[in-house]
Amino acid sequence: MIDVMFGALGAMLSNPKTMGLMFVAVLIGLVVGATPGIGGRLSIALAIPFVFGMEMTQGAVFLLTMHAVNGTSGQISSIMFGVPGDGDDAATTIDGHPMAKKGEAGRALGASITASGVGGIIGAIVFAVMIPVLEPVVLAFSPAEFFLLAILGITFIAFLAGKGQIFKGIIVGLFGMILATIGMDPTSGIARFSGNYLFLWDGLSVVTAVLAIFAVPEMISLAAKGGSISAVSIENSSVSYRQLFSGVMEVPRHWFLALRTSIIGAMIGMVPGLGGSAAAWLCYGHAVQTSKTPERFGHGAVEGVIAPETASNAKEGGSLLPTLFFGIPGSSGMAVLMGAFLILGIQPGPAMFTTHLDLVWTLIWALVVGNLIAVSLLLFITRWVAVLTFINGAVLVPFILVLVTVGAYANEGQWENLLILLAISFIGWGLMRFNWPRAPFVIGLVLGKIAEESLHKALGLWGMSFFTRPLSLVLIGLICATIALAIYTNMRGKSAMPAGV
Amino acid sequence: MNHWTKYIVTALTFGALTNGAEAQSGVDFFKGKTVTYIVATAPGGGYDSYGRLVAEFMQRYLPGSTFVVRNMPGAGHLIGANAIYASKPDGLTIGTFNTGLIYNQIVGQEGVKFDLTKMSWIGKAASDPRVFAIASQSPIKSWKELLDQKTPVNFATAGVGSASYVETVMLTNALKLPIKLQTGYNGTDDQLAMRRGEIVGSIASRSSYDQFVKNGFGRYIVQIGGKDTDVPQLSSLVTDPKGQELVALVQSQGDIARLTAGPPGIPADITAALVGAYKQAMEDKDLQQRAEKLERPVEPLYGEDVLKAVKAALNQKPETITLLKEALGK
Repeated sequence: MIDVMFGALGAMLSNPKTMGLMFVAVLIGLVVGATPGIGGRLSIALAIPFVFGMEMTQGAVFLLTMHAVNGTSGQISSIMFGVPGDGDDAATTIDGHPMAKKGEAGRALGASITASGVGGIIGAIVFAVMIPVLEPVVLAFSPAEFFLLAILGITFIAFLAGKGQIFKGIIVGLFGMILATIGMDPTSGIARFSGNYLFLWDGLSVVTAVLAIFAVPEMISLAAKGGSISAVSIENSSVSYRQLFSGVMEVPRHWFLALRTSIIGAMIGMVPGLGGSAAAWLCYGHAVQTSKTPERFGHGAVEGVIAPETASNAKEGGSLLPTLFFGIPGSSGMAVLMGAFLILGIQPGPAMFTTHLDLVWTLIWALVVGNLIAVSLLLFITRWVAVLTFINGAVLVPFILVLVTVGAYANEGQWENLLILLAISFIGWGLMRFNWPRAPFVIGLVLGKIAEESLHKALGLWGMSFFTRPLSLVLIGLICATIALAIYTNMRGKSAMPAGV
Repeated sequence: MNHWTKYIVTALTFGALTNGAEAQSGVDFFKGKTVTYIVATAPGGGYDSYGRLVAEFMQRYLPGSTFVVRNMPGAGHLIGANAIYASKPDGLTIGTFNTGLIYNQIVGQEGVKFDLTKMSWIGKAASDPRVFAIASQSPIKSWKELLDQKTPVNFATAGVGSASYVETVMLTNALKLPIKLQTGYNGTDDQLAMRRGEIVGSIASRSSYDQFVKNGFGRYIVQIGGKDTDVPQLSSLVTDPKGQELVALVQSQGDIARLTAGPPGIPADITAALVGAYKQAMEDKDLQQRAEKLERPVEPLYGEDVLKAVKAALNQKPETITLLKEALGK
């Protein structure tokens, strides 16, 4: 085992062509990841014609690295401009962007990039450790558990709402859940709240909603108040490698949180069906819930950047497990990756243990090394990126609004989403203007859909008795505990997130 | 050679020449032009990879042209199909979508803004027969054992109204199968559910289950269409004429997989050039090899032949249409 493990690493590092391809893959992955609205799926789909001629291992390393580093660069625009690339990055926006406003963009970027890298590497380790127990763990989660996990995530809203704002939080969360019901009803086949508009049949575009709720209001407020994103002028702030480095050091300072959220992220990735954004949001909620000073969250708490970033990158390692060993991809991104693996002559399935163990280890190492390359590259260039937060808003706002518009359009390629962007932007701006929390909206939208779909399935399969499954009981216990804790902290007048997040 | 034969030969030669000239003028039309190839799904997955493959090779056989693939996902392929149908009939917009839309057109479902019989058919690339796939831990090993089940067993389908749902409901009702439908299993959710054991089986396209069965997680008990000989054909097991008609309808869906079509009214010479390029692409060894790696070997049909097959599939008896409408809740 050990010799296969390190043999694979040696073979990979000593092959200049593999390393060259990996470097190119990291570059492409980072550029695609930094562009809002374009997912990693597209980059792999476009790369498929190129891998036809590649050798099996090299092709697999190329595609996996490209996919894995996608999330590492996604948070740059969420932190800098409050423009999240997708649902995952939205969680990072909540604390990352306030940090940029305080002139700490460098520190936030340092922390988030390092956290992504650490998450990616821990995800790879979890991958390696979990191989022997993969089957029982993955198969323990059925629609009943997905439903309860989604409900658990929704209860975190109570912590995210902020001081004396628990009811506002619940209202906004419920609003998100109402909008999650737009689209084709999974059990009756009736299009709900969609009129004759086919583009609404698949539900409201999460990317569009996230851009409208977070990015557009920030830009309106920046344009109205004038000045730059950072309230602190460049002379008074230390935009330097030193600030970046202090951000990097935040991750070892919060090593226990980073470890926990990486593991949770990897586990969520391992169990197909819960979706990527759930990992980032559950871990963000976990960070707030376990913090001794939850009131800092939403105002630029570095833990609020570390938790979602570790989680969303760690889930890549996790989601590779069912893809490789069951041949059942856990996400649409993994489905594309699996299609490409088949082209390369890799047959995912239980036989991977025996026939391709060296390849499995190469892929694990590729996750580790790819993340290291991505982190070093990004840390090197972001010092100059961070300076953008000191540019006058009048110059910056038009560019960012273009970025937002392109992101909302490119994600599904439907112009109608621009109207949705406009409509929800009003709501987002209203929430921001009147100091209502915004994060519960995205949680309601993302988890509400999962909750509804899995509830239908669980009821169809087991009726009401699904609540008595052993794992269900554990999750119900966790939900009750969370609610009790929320009521307790709220009664004591101490709650997590101050207004306006 | 008597002079009648001479006439015939001359006429044939002239005909061939003018035909050739017509196709040639069509081919010339594409020099310096950009063709948009619409794929009615998101990037990734079978339709996208097939679409990109077809676009790449058609570009190769229409010299000077540039093919651009555009993904238009949503509403179960309806958005993409409607867009292709409504595009300008100049031959510069063609694309691919799910054959299952035939069901939607038969019952006149909402959202359908096309008439498949009027489209300019260019070709179809593959066949995708349907199978009854059963999880390996289930005791059901044959068609007969499925029929003998005392209590209904759970079968997974995608959302209500999807092609997989329609086929499962129709077959369950018409053949009185002991099946309880569980809906909302999209993508590969059904396979994972079969591994967990909550779902016993699924009626799905064979290509989507080949990997699953190869890994020993499941087995096929019966197949609809296709040339594979390892599984009995459902048509040989169903005796009731109404049932047989439905099986034939489902089979016709599987036969016309991975199609390429354009909007109605593309000029004849341009359609001829597109069909010609499509044919050359399908006969290209390189494409065949790559298609085989992607999913299934190439089993092409071209132009008019596809239209004939589509028309045949759309032309159903009232009883079948009633069954379909029932399946779609109409």
